[in-house]
Amino acid sequence: MDEAPETSTRSDDDRSTIGAAEETASREASASSGSGFEVKLLNKSFDELHFGLSGVVRMENARQVLDAIIEAIAAEPLRNVALDLGEVEYFDSSGVAVLIEVRQKCHVMGNRFRVVHPGPEIQRLLDLVDFEHYAPACVLVPRGEPGVLVQVGEGTEKVLTTGRDILTFIGASVVAMAKDLSSPRTARWDGFWRLMERAGTDAVPIVTALSFLMGAILAFQAAIQLRKFGANIFVADLVSVSICVEMGPLLTAIIIAGRSGAAFAAHIGTMRVTEEIDALSVMAIDPIRYLVTPRVLAVALVCPCLTLFADIVGVAGGCIVAASSLDLTPTTYFNQVQKILEVSDVLKGLTKSFAYGVEVAMIGCLRGFQVRGGAESVGSAATSAVVTSVFVIVVTDAIFSMLFHYVRLL
Amino acid sequence: MVSAKRITAGYGDAVVVSDVSFDVHESEIFAILGRSGCGKTTLFKVLMGLVEPTSGEVFLDGDHVVLVGDSGSERFLRKIGVLFQSGALFSSMTIAENVALPLRQQTSLPEGTIEHIVRLKLTQVGLAGFESHLPAELSGGMQKRAALARAMALDPKILFFDEPSAGLDPVTSAQLDRLILEINKSLGTTVVIVTHELASVLTVADRVIMLDRDERTIIAQGSPAELASSDDARVRDFFTRAPA
Repeated sequence: MDEAPETSTRSDDDRSTIGAAEETASREASASSGSGFEVKLLNKSFDELHFGLSGVVRMENARQVLDAIIEAIAAEPLRNVALDLGEVEYFDSSGVAVLIEVRQKCHVMGNRFRVVHPGPEIQRLLDLVDFEHYAPACVLVPRGEPGVLVQVGEGTEKVLTTGRDILTFIGASVVAMAKDLSSPRTARWDGFWRLMERAGTDAVPIVTALSFLMGAILAFQAAIQLRKFGANIFVADLVSVSICVEMGPLLTAIIIAGRSGAAFAAHIGTMRVTEEIDALSVMAIDPIRYLVTPRVLAVALVCPCLTLFADIVGVAGGCIVAASSLDLTPTTYFNQVQKILEVSDVLKGLTKSFAYGVEVAMIGCLRGFQVRGGAESVGSAATSAVVTSVFVIVVTDAIFSMLFHYVRLL
Repeated sequence: MVSAKRITAGYGDAVVVSDVSFDVHESEIFAILGRSGCGKTTLFKVLMGLVEPTSGEVFLDGDHVVLVGDSGSERFLRKIGVLFQSGALFSSMTIAENVALPLRQQTSLPEGTIEHIVRLKLTQVGLAGFESHLPAELSGGMQKRAALARAMALDPKILFFDEPSAGLDPVTSAQLDRLILEINKSLGTTVVIVTHELASVLTVADRVIMLDRDERTIIAQGSPAELASSDDARVRDFFTRAPA
């Protein structure tokens, strides 16, 4: 870079500065705080333009250098162009990229472009990319999508693999849980209480807030309709039954899916990426028994507890609205709740809640175990854990509703 | 080029390095040596603003190093490139996209120019032809080289290497050493390496400092040859791989 330019036939008289190019260059040079450059026409022989590039070419001004050179070349009618790099003071990788770009643009414009007097460092960089025979290649173009048939095939294979994974996982989990429950001494209970705390106690504030609001919203909506018929008291019926049978368990399960399900997927997924799961396996520790059983049991136990809590807070939320906007006293409200709400209603909700807890924990763990690759896959696993959980929760709710309906008929 | 002045750093109440001062000259390959737990990585993170020292200051090419993300950190971050121990390539991006990322984010270069720079950098590290591969499709050594290409993307003045030989076989490790020497010679890049690989230190380093776990500071400095013949038993044991 610091090598003096080779002997040249140019003289000061020959040097006619290209107005537009120099203007652009000078303007950018002053804007790039001392890292300036200049593009000058040094010599114009009968068939060749001889430009000189001087100063500094770096990432910050490479775009301006490129524009200035192209502008200068385009302004002249001659087709053979030589760029003298003898007076370049600093030249980084972006300089090489600029020269390649100029060469390609010259090719498009029908010009012949060559570089003269490159210093040894510049020459070394040019040799590295084989400047004279550099062929364009789109290395930053995203990978092409496979054909429709390939996509259908891959999709089918994925569905089958996922189905097999789910069945294997459910089977392995049931076996692991049976082993733990049949011989509790060999089970890993040390992290169990911590898991219960994280999935249960830590979720109390958000469950409280949302179930209270849910009770209040239901009461508001009911009040608008029931007031028309003077049936204000039935707000207590609607709120208590819908909260205890449906909304309480659903709301709690969705909160747990968002908190614990996603956390399990991300945690186990990261363990897979960092080979911690493999480490457990080679230490003869069953990863399912070590990781899945405590999580499933913890969530299955805390989910009904949280649901019961959500039921109480939700009914209380309805009471506040009823008392404030329907002229009902809290005593009247709770008397009506006591009259209409049966123990079986609450038990139905808690039964569903237990099932939701098992599902959410199993899905979170399964998605974690399905992680392949790196960080992106972990993110997808966490998202998928929540989406699948919510879907499965709603489907289970529908099944339970039908089940309870037909059991009553029997 | 790198100037550390009376650095004391640690986590909470635990002091890991205490009162460490040194200067790295321009175009020098400088190694920070020491046994596991001596505070190499902490010092390394202090140098690039990832950890705030309890006391002391660091200057990179005259710029005061502040915690990354604080105002003023962009100035010195633009001058450095870092090769992390794991490579830290983004798994969802191809190798070419990984190298293009800092160019796209930090410069206003057109996409075509960025593509040429990406190819140049990958050619420099011997990965031409692997542009469209995902990191997971490459071997450990290739991932390290790809990460090096990304660290060099913006032609930084200073390159930091955290355990460059970790997890590599001796041949690949030697290739990486040669690459470090080439980059240092051809581009004049200042290189700071944190390592405990003796072979690597003896091959590439111009100057070395050695940290000690008990002293929590520099116990020796000089050329690798000088340290290898040191009178200090702790330094000599390290170079002769004698168990403590």
